[in-house]
Amino acid sequence: MSALAGNRFPRSGYVARSSSSGLAEVLDVLLDKGLVIDIFLRVSLVGIELLTVDARIVIASVDTYLRFAEAVNRLDIGESSSEGLPDLIEDMTQNGAQSKTKGVLEGAKESLFGSSGNNDNDNDDDDDSSSRSRSRSSSRSRSRSSSRGR
Amino acid sequence: MATYVYGIVESTARAPKAKGIGGAPLAVVAGDGAAALVSDLPDGEVQMGRDEVMTHAEVLDQALTRGTVLPMRFGVIMGGSDDVRRQLLERHGEDLRAQLVDLAGKVELNVRAVYEEDVVLREVVNDDPEIARLREVVHDRSEDATYYERIRLGELVAQAVEHRREQDAQAIVDLLTPTTLAVDVGAPAHERVVINASFLVERKRLDAFDEVLEAVARDQFGRIRFKLTGPRAPHSFVELGGGQ
Repeated sequence: MSALAGNRFPRSGYVARSSSSGLAEVLDVLLDKGLVIDIFLRVSLVGIELLTVDARIVIASVDTYLRFAEAVNRLDIGESSSEGLPDLIEDMTQNGAQSKTKGVLEGAKESLFGSSGNNDNDNDDDDDSSSRSRSRSSSRSRSRSSSRGR
Repeated sequence: MATYVYGIVESTARAPKAKGIGGAPLAVVAGDGAAALVSDLPDGEVQMGRDEVMTHAEVLDQALTRGTVLPMRFGVIMGGSDDVRRQLLERHGEDLRAQLVDLAGKVELNVRAVYEEDVVLREVVNDDPEIARLREVVHDRSEDATYYERIRLGELVAQAVEHRREQDAQAIVDLLTPTTLAVDVGAPAHERVVINASFLVERKRLDAFDEVLEAVARDQFGRIRFKLTGPRAPHSFVELGGGQ
């Protein structure tokens, strides 16, 4: 929707782009952020707020632990040749390996602003698929409210 | 007649052509140095749902193409134009004028970064001998027989991912902030989220911001997936003293 997004940024690249028109993004900002003048004049949006709360998973829970355990259990480990990931990732993993204690992005910082090897711009692989949203965007939510003057 | 308020615009601004909530035309209620972008709502009970939220967002997007916008949160309804003038534009005039000046030429960009789960989990297993050992213990054994080992394994994995998340999130913020004026880091929506942050950026710095973000995303390609939303009105960087 936002004309600005289209004009400002190229569509290609490693970053998925969207205008602010996705429901998940819109709920994220419009229900939580922005000017509010008088709490009594706000609409009570029980349905929609539940929708957003629902989308937020509690990170430290037994369910999460079991899910992580299962995910780790499923992994193919130690067969690096059969991972089928592009060469670029192997390069990146190597970068990461040399700076494990600092976190891989620390390595990123060095390669961006510090050491050499930053000019290999020849790989144009695109990664445009957008991140999966967990919000239940299909469920219809409505709530009643009264608009009243003072 | 009640009045729905979308945001604050400059006092000289004109209403976008788009329709407001319920199909009502948009209007501008002008005050001293600031104006409110509004539309009429019928009196009495009003139903608000996803359509109305999307309309609010679209109206703000339209207004942003025309100038500075201080966005209202969803659901601000007032008792008519006079009410808007007195209770909003006059009562908060100083605050609003200051923020219109302060936020002129600036927009908000939201960055969401999400781990490619298999890649980061593989790192975690390879890095931590205890995790690797527990993985061997539960591997190929029934879930019932290894329930507690699985919880322990998952807990260690969650901690290791969290540790990585903190480092990676900080690094992303550190890399991006030189091109921005302010940052607002939100709560992660689920356990694969590295960061969900909104940045206040000058329009003329959008390309610089984009360049850095692309470089970071290229470096992390296959490990972290980046999504950029915006430019949008500066939701995370407006505030009214005395309001709530």
